[in-house]
Order: sequence, then structure tokens, then C-alpha cells
Amino acid sequence: MIEVQNIYKTFLVPHRVEALVNVSCKVEAGAVVVVIGPSGSGKSTLLRCLNHLETADSGKIIIEGIDTLDPKTNINKLRAEVGMVFQSFNLFPHKSVLENITLAQKVVRKRTKKESLEKAFSLLNKVGIKDKANVYPDQLSGGQQQRVAIARALAMDPKIMLFDEPTSALDPEMIGEVLDVMKNLAREGMTMVVVTHEMGFAKEVADRVIFMDMGAIVEEGTPEHFFTNPENQRTKLFLSQIL
Amino acid sequence: MNQPAIMKKSNKSASYYAWVGVFFLSLAILIGALYYSTIKIDYVWRWYRIPQYFAFKEKIDIKSQVTGRISEISYQKGEALIVVKTDGEDKTYAVPEGDIKVSEGEYVNHGYVLAFYEKWKPGILIQGLWLTIEVSIISTLLGILIGLIGGLARLSSNPAFKWASITYIEIIRGSPLLVQIFIWYFVLGTLINTILDKYGISPIPPLWYGVAALACFTGAYVAEIVRAGIQSIHRGQVEASRSLGMTYAQSMRYVILPQALRRILPPLAGQFISLIKDSSLLGIIAIRELSKATREIVTTSLQPFELWFVCALLYLVLTFTLSMFVQYLERRTAV
Ligand SMILES: Nc1ncnc2c1ncn2[C@@H]1O[C@H](COP(=O)(O)OP(=O)(O)O)[C@@H](O)[C@H]1O
Ligand SMILES: [Mg+2]
Repeated sequence: MIEVQNIYKTFLVPHRVEALVNVSCKVEAGAVVVVIGPSGSGKSTLLRCLNHLETADSGKIIIEGIDTLDPKTNINKLRAEVGMVFQSFNLFPHKSVLENITLAQKVVRKRTKKESLEKAFSLLNKVGIKDKANVYPDQLSGGQQQRVAIARALAMDPKIMLFDEPTSALDPEMIGEVLDVMKNLAREGMTMVVVTHEMGFAKEVADRVIFMDMGAIVEEGTPEHFFTNPENQRTKLFLSQIL
Repeated sequence: MNQPAIMKKSNKSASYYAWVGVFFLSLAILIGALYYSTIKIDYVWRWYRIPQYFAFKEKIDIKSQVTGRISEISYQKGEALIVVKTDGEDKTYAVPEGDIKVSEGEYVNHGYVLAFYEKWKPGILIQGLWLTIEVSIISTLLGILIGLIGGLARLSSNPAFKWASITYIEIIRGSPLLVQIFIWYFVLGTLINTILDKYGISPIPPLWYGVAALACFTGAYVAEIVRAGIQSIHRGQVEASRSLGMTYAQSMRYVILPQALRRILPPLAGQFISLIKDSSLLGIIAIRELSKATREIVTTSLQPFELWFVCALLYLVLTFTLSMFVQYLERRTAV
């Protein structure tokens, strides 16, 4: 479960940008929340604040009952519980698919080689590319790379998964295979926060949709609410552009 | 590297070969002109004198350690056994056949030369070359260590580390190596050795001040190379590894540095080739590396032309070997 209370984040370099302005939201255990909004509205920043790739300036972020902005909190431990999938995959290019998935298991979770390999194979099976175990990332298609990235994050047995536009860098024909993996994950009960413009995905598995603009949450509700009668003027405008 | 098809085809025209000819002709003229001018000043080339500075045969005497009479000299498998009969126990010497100075029945005193053998010894050039290699290897290893720490400190957000690194890099890069060697030897060396002497500890030999100067000098450049290498790795790599829960150190060790290393290998090789050449400056603080050794022989042998060419050639062999080795590493680490 995630609780975000009144967080602010301002970037000063290269120039002053108020990326998050008084943002509060809640993601219950097992819920799937989709975040939408125009480019530069602060979606990535919100996600990155959740696992401390950025540190919120003020406010409170409580994950699984732990106050993550408390300086005494072990951030590395927290991050192992919160998986993240990036728009640009960010696989380790010098390591094979298998090594990508086993590395953090070994050095962070301290699993044995055998345990981590078993985990890796079962996850590769789950994301549907077990035949690519010994291949290097640059030999995979974008969709395959993103599925490996999801497997890599899942290997840590996270309680929460964050997805930052996981399909935006993909060719259209590969979007489906990645979304399918994410849908399965949602059905298994994973707590997920997904920044995406794939409204089909939102319709199918999201419990709630959050619309952000200019660093603030403008509107929040069920997918039906967004598709049938969005209230805010900016929401309407945005949805008319992407649907 | 894939070359475009156009480049691969060897469709060389006649003018191409003409220019190849021009190149070799110019080279020949240059060497010829050099040779001709040395003849003009009555310089006598004596290449045959050079090998002795690489290796020479030393004559080693085998002396009797007892007084007595040679009772027997027997030969077997190219070796001769000389038995010296004394009042007490007999003594047998095994010596190489052919170089025996005594005969059976002869009376020998203690210290009398029975025979001698010859042994190959490394000449002064080889000794100098070896010292150059030794100094270069130690300084390279220390330089890598210093450079790695310096580069990471340079990227640190902690001002103490960051500013220390910047200060170090700027000071080293902003002053001549020769001056740095003098400071290490005449300032720091004097200080340290005097203090050590006060506590009755034997002084550190100049070699180590030379190594320190070279290592610190190289370290500063390596630090900048390491910094640039790490910065060239996409930010997403750090973020991906940190988001998996890796610490800064783990992410550096398993993700960033292995990727950075591949990129910094070529500039690093250039730096270490410079280091080998710069080690020639250590001669000024009485370290007998290759160029100091050459200078010494030049003053005694009066064959400067041959010796300096040989010296340059030996450096070339070292640097060329290193660059071959690095190319091999590059090929091995490429995915
Ligand atoms: N590391 C950063 N440094 C400076 N400005 C940033 C940084 N990250 C994001 N921003 C700025 O914050 C705003 C929100 O960015 P972001 O969260 O990436 O938006 P979104 O993901 O919704 O497109 C943008 O104006 C962006 O330029
Ligand atoms: Mg974004």
C-alpha cells in the first residue's frame, strides 16, 4: 500500500520547475492505478519519488507502513520492495538476459546461484521468452527487452511495481506482448502504478485512473468515469486528444 | 569495424602505387642523407659493439678451496671431474670440459684456479630496460588505483572528496612532470628520509620517489579518463540498478564500471604509453632506467649514434607491445 500526502518537488536546475505541487494519493494493496497526463505534467517525477530516484522536497510518502522520507529509512531495502520498469528498458548491455535477472538477486537478496537461476527461468517462462536466456539485450527486439526488464524487476519479489510509460518506446506491433504480461500481473494481484496512455489497458485492468497536469492531480476516478463523464475541462481536452 | 563496400574493393590505380613509391624513396633518401652526413664528419659506425650491452659472457673462475695434489681428471658427458687429494678428505670439482687450467699430478694451493666457465649476463641496456619495465608496471598499477579513487571522488557530491580530487587533478596537470619529480625527490624525499633517519629507519631509495611521482602524475590523468568514462554511461543504468536495491558501490562495481572500462580502455592505453616514455625522466634522480643506462654507455663507448637509435627502438618495442595487449583486451571485452 502506498500513501502519498502533500508532496512537493521543485527542480532548480537547469531552471526552476515545479514538477509536483501538493500531490496526495493512495494506492491500496492489490490495486492497479493508471496515471495519465500530458508530457511534462510530473507523472515520471511522481513515480520516481515513490522509489526515491528523486527525493520529494516535503510531504509524506508511506509505503507498506514505512515513512520513506524519514532519513533513518534504509532506501536500498525499500527499493528492493518496489520494482520499476522504465520507458527505455535500461537493461544492462554487458550482461546476458539471465545475468540481468540474477545479478540483483545475488547481490541484493543474497540468493545462491541456483536459487536465482531457478527464479530467473520461471520468470522468463512467465514473460514468454525462456529461449532467449543466454542472449545479450541488443539481440532482442524492444518488446522482448521490456519483458526481460519486467522479469528483472519481478525477480526481487517486489510488493509494488511501478511502470513509467513501458510501451512508449515500442513499435506498435510489440505493445500488445508487453501489455499482456502487465495484465497478467495485475490479475495476480500485484499492486501497480502505471504511467501509460494505453487506455485499453486502463479500461481492462485499472481500478483507478489519475489525471495529472502541471504537477498536480486534476482528476481521479474509475476508468468508466473517465471514459463516460470526465468533469474537468483539461481532462476532457486531454482525453479527446489521445482517444 | 565494417567498412563501406567502396573502401573494401582494392581498385588501386597506377598513381596510388606511384605515391607508395614516393614514400619509400623519400624514406631511403632520408636514411641515406643521414648516413652520408655521418661519413662526412668521420663518424665510424660500429654496430658490432652494441650486442655486448644487451648480454655478455662473464668468465667465472673455479678455484680450489683446499691445498693438495690433483690425483685424477676424468671426463664424462662434456664435464670433467677434478679430484684434489689432500691430507684429509679428497675434494672433487665438476668443471666444464675444455677450460681446464691444471693437469694431473700438479700441486695446487688454496685459491688456485683449476678451471673457468663462461656465463651469460644481462648487459647494461637490458638492465636499464628491465628497470624501465618494472617502474612502468608499478606506476601503472598505482596510477590505476589513484585514478579510480580520484575519478569516483571527482563525481562525488561530497564537497570534501570532490574538491580534493579537483585540486589534485589541477595541480598535477598544471605543472611539468620534471618539476614534480624534483619535488618528490628533493623536497618530499629529503623530508621523509631525514625524518626516517631520526628514528633510525633506513632511507627510502630514490626509485620509490620516482615511482610515486609517475604514479601520481598518471593518476590525475586516469582520474579524468575514469570520470569521463563513467559520465558517458547512460543515467538509466544507474537508475535501473539502484531501483533494484543495489547500493551505490554495488551499482558501480557490477553495472557502471564494467561498461565504463570498455570505453576508457583506448585513452587509458595512450596514458600508459606516455607513462613508459615519461619514465625516461627518472634518470635525473639517479635511477638507472633505459635512457640513463644508454647515457652512461654513450659516455664510455663513444658510440652515441648507434646507442640512441637502439634506445629509441627499445622504447618502441615496449610501447608497441602494450598497445597490442590493449587491442587484445578490447577485442576480448567487446560483447
Ligand atoms: N531531473 C530533472 N531535472 C530538472 N528538471 C526535471 C527533471 N526531471 C523532470 N524535470 C522537469 O519536471 C517536469 C515534469 O517532468 P516529468 O515528471 O518527467 O513529466 P512527465 O513524465 O509527466 O512527462 C518537466 O518540466 C521536466 O522538465
Ligand atoms: Mg515521463
